[in-house]
Amino acid sequence: MKNRLKILRAERNWSQADLADRLEVSRQTVNAIETGKYDPSLPLAFRIGRLFEQPIETIFDDEAA
Amino acid sequence: MTQSQARSPAVKRYMQRFLPAMGLYVLVLFASLFAIKILDPTGPLLWILAVAPAIPILAVIAIMGLYITEESDELPRAVMVQSMLWGIGLTLSAATVWGFLENADLVPHLSSFLIFPLFCAAMGLAQPFVWRRYR
Repeated sequence: MKNRLKILRAERNWSQADLADRLEVSRQTVNAIETGKYDPSLPLAFRIGRLFEQPIETIFDDEAA
Repeated sequence: MTQSQARSPAVKRYMQRFLPAMGLYVLVLFASLFAIKILDPTGPLLWILAVAPAIPILAVIAIMGLYITEESDELPRAVMVQSMLWGIGLTLSAATVWGFLENADLVPHLSSFLIFPLFCAAMGLAQPFVWRRYR
């Protein structure tokens, strides 16, 4: 799924490892989400939204519309 | 070392359980083979000695299940589950094909305790291919 994780991360100057630590997942997981190869579970998507203080829909784009 | 670089706690716990279980397996296997040879038992004692090596292996299967329930990092967990499904599919396929070949006396009989190591090997082989999907 397309998403703005990389941009949001760059705005804060975080590496993938920094973001992984904050989400309590591995760097591989962050990378796979960022590149759109893995869709996070709803709980992890909410954690991401809360971390960046944005609703999930502004971070992830399901390309349905 | 930060969490993203460290082995997950679930992997550590898995190894802390897996290695003793395998050690126990080797011990029990040799003890059982030795006792059956020396004592030449019959009846319940033979049953107990014969089934004993299976018990640590059943523990290993439970330890694999515990890893899945304890791994909180969802991508490695998903990769492990998919690898297990590949392992199951390949093992069932191989056992089915072998069984019919055996029926026609084309291949020798294989003991069914080989099924679990075959599953482990197939799962292990599948893992890098499953990971590739997410890299």
